[in-house]
Amino acid sequence: MGTLEQLGLALTTPVRRRLEMLRRDLSMVGGRVVLGRRAPVLVDRSHAGARAWAHTIPRRPVRVTRVVHETDEASSFYLEEMDGSPIEFEAGQFLTFSVEVDGVTLRRAYSLASPQLPDEPRHVTVKRMPEGRVSHYLNDHCAEGTILHVLGPSGNFLLPPLSGRPRHAVFIAGGSGITPVMSLLGTVLATEPASRVTLIYGNRRREDIIFAAQLAALRERYGDRLRVDHVLNAPPRGWTGGEGLLDPPTLQQRFDALGLFGDTGPSDEEDVEVYLCGPSPMMQAAHEALRARAVPAASIREERFTQPEARTEARVYSTTPQPMSVQIRGLHADTVVKPGQTLLEAGLEGGIGLPFSCAMGGCGTCKVKLREGEVEMDEPNCLSAAEREAGYVLTCVGHATGPCVIEVER
Amino acid sequence: MTRHLSPLERLPRLPSIVRERVEPYFEALDVMTAVKDPKIFASLGPSGVRGLILQRGKQGVPTLIGSKHKAHFDWSYPSDQPEMLELYRRAKAGQWDGERDLDWSISVDPDNPEVPMVPENFFNADKIREFGIKLTPAEGLRLTHSTVAWMLSQFLHGEQGALLAAAQVTEAVQFFDGKLYGATQVVDEARHVEVFHRYLDTKLDKLYQINDNLFVIIDALMADSRWDMKFLGMQIMVEGLALGAFGMLYRITKEPLLKSLLGRVIQDEARHVHYGVLALREHIRTQLSEAERQEREDWAFEVALLMRNRFLSYEVYEEWFEGLLTRAQWQEVVNTSPGLELFRQVMFSRLVPNLRDIGLLSDRIKPYYAEAGLAKYFDGVSARELDETTMISALDAAGSFEIAAE
Ligand code: FES
Ligand SMILES: [Fe+2]
Ligand SMILES: [Fe+2]
Repeated sequence: MGTLEQLGLALTTPVRRRLEMLRRDLSMVGGRVVLGRRAPVLVDRSHAGARAWAHTIPRRPVRVTRVVHETDEASSFYLEEMDGSPIEFEAGQFLTFSVEVDGVTLRRAYSLASPQLPDEPRHVTVKRMPEGRVSHYLNDHCAEGTILHVLGPSGNFLLPPLSGRPRHAVFIAGGSGITPVMSLLGTVLATEPASRVTLIYGNRRREDIIFAAQLAALRERYGDRLRVDHVLNAPPRGWTGGEGLLDPPTLQQRFDALGLFGDTGPSDEEDVEVYLCGPSPMMQAAHEALRARAVPAASIREERFTQPEARTEARVYSTTPQPMSVQIRGLHADTVVKPGQTLLEAGLEGGIGLPFSCAMGGCGTCKVKLREGEVEMDEPNCLSAAEREAGYVLTCVGHATGPCVIEVER
Repeated sequence: MTRHLSPLERLPRLPSIVRERVEPYFEALDVMTAVKDPKIFASLGPSGVRGLILQRGKQGVPTLIGSKHKAHFDWSYPSDQPEMLELYRRAKAGQWDGERDLDWSISVDPDNPEVPMVPENFFNADKIREFGIKLTPAEGLRLTHSTVAWMLSQFLHGEQGALLAAAQVTEAVQFFDGKLYGATQVVDEARHVEVFHRYLDTKLDKLYQINDNLFVIIDALMADSRWDMKFLGMQIMVEGLALGAFGMLYRITKEPLLKSLLGRVIQDEARHVHYGVLALREHIRTQLSEAERQEREDWAFEVALLMRNRFLSYEVYEEWFEGLLTRAQWQEVVNTSPGLELFRQVMFSRLVPNLRDIGLLSDRIKPYYAEAGLAKYFDGVSARELDETTMISALDAAGSFEIAAE
């Protein structure tokens, strides 16, 4: 039977449709009786397209209520949930911002800098980074009423519960590493009347100090319970505070100047806890300096994701799809990691309930054991060297370079 | 309406190459000649041709089915059916999310004998052997896999029918409270389409075409312009069929994801049938003449038999046994399989009491049901007397995992 067009007829659409249907009807019957051909038993699914349930990492909208310029380079963005309620978080946690820049979705973590108090508006503070596409985007495009998309909060850079004694929290922060520290120290000062805080805060110039005014105001309010030691790399004339990069010698000098970690050993009146957040050279220097003072590793906490210099942009690790098996809650699931996908994305798309929170390498929620195969990870990546050594990977920044088997341990 | 020697039963003397080609038409003829009442024939006949002969559901293109029902508006928003309003409340409270509330991370291996989708004796393997076909254990498992995928595919197609019919019924129904309730059913059916499709697509990786007989029923009720026929077809017959099939599978499967999926769906369906019973009971008792009532009574009987006798997984037959068994032999295999027996049992134990409750099981029709072996269900509990939770607990209580053929 020829096509209708071959019949050379000019047909109106409804007539054409009827004829088409007639042709199909006849070929169903004719095919069966004459040719012994029957309709296929299965539905052809090859053109069904992307599966409707192939889901991506869920993010939610939040509203910017206010923008405050903190320095030339940094602004604070006050945020609330779409229904007007405050964002629930724990002091020290961060939100992952998912931003589309030039058609690419980029995810970056920014810590909430507000103290964890019921009525305190929540804000993040974002400093422009050279080459930092997201930080520029936020600083250039956000105004009151802007809707942003976030995941989380996530993160384990938290205040441990009090042991029964008050704490002396010593913070060592560099540059924009101050943001979670502001949240933590503000929370300690406001909620633990007997605890005290020392902050060693490194910046290049005086103009670069984020929260200078807020810190001064906290000093006013809490007096001796808060000591702030500003250390500048390029101090102005007449600067009387600390000077230099936060390297081991400078840190030792600051410890002496502040009477920290002396020979007398820890006091029994308070628990000394150290919190580190800043660029990785500073973190390394701090660890070294603290080790020299015999500060036990267990009392040191750090936030490691804020290392912009370590960021790798999405690379393609494999150009072919790689099979992935997942052992989860005693069950077993298989899926395929497509080129460019993270293990997390592939798992979620395959309907596997992999755990995650920040989706950008910063919280460790997505940590799994790599049982077989090879996985490469993007930076930032909050796994410790020991965890990597023990065969753990983060699915949210992990890429399969070959077939792999992972196990979700929780 | 006496049973006769069917054309199909007279067929086996033809050479097999010819028989294979014409058998389906004799089967169609068989179905249609079984309908004696001209009115019923007029209502089911065209659908029969479209489904059985032209196989409109299998042409590989979307099917367009016209409908001439009227959308019924009421600008006074009467509070007319408190029981429906109560169902509406329950439906709102009972919403679930097919994405969140089912554990899609469970991996399903239909060929794993440790976690059988359905018990080994689901099929009458002896019959298959009697007809000279030996299946290895692995083949047996794959045959069951095919059958489960076939059943779930038909559920999915049925759910699509339910989705569209529920929307039509919501337009057409004259009870205002019924419209509100109906909207929740539309959402429910969408969710059912979602979860069955997802299960087939991601877990069984197989989707069968719509069965011709199922197509006939869906086509007939979608094309009928009378809202109560849509109701009867969808809310009582197809939903009844679905409940029977879901209930059967829920009871016998050991696959945890499928079981929880079905458990959720059954609770929704219980509300749907309940609604159908409420709406039709009122309508049939007060709005219809005796002649009209009789017509619906006969229609329901014919459709019930169609469902009982013809829902025979021919697509599985075509995939596995075409050329090895005749269709009549396949019929015999299926009809004597414990799985199907259980399905019929669950289906009719729900359906027959519902027909009684809405007034379509008068003494006039009872002998025919009795002749079809369905008299034991005359006094069962109808959907009106059964809520979602009771229905599931009844299944759980009955739920010996093995099929105990009666
Ligand atoms: S989800 Fe936070 S590190 Fe992967
Ligand atoms: Fe449904
Ligand atoms: Fe339904």
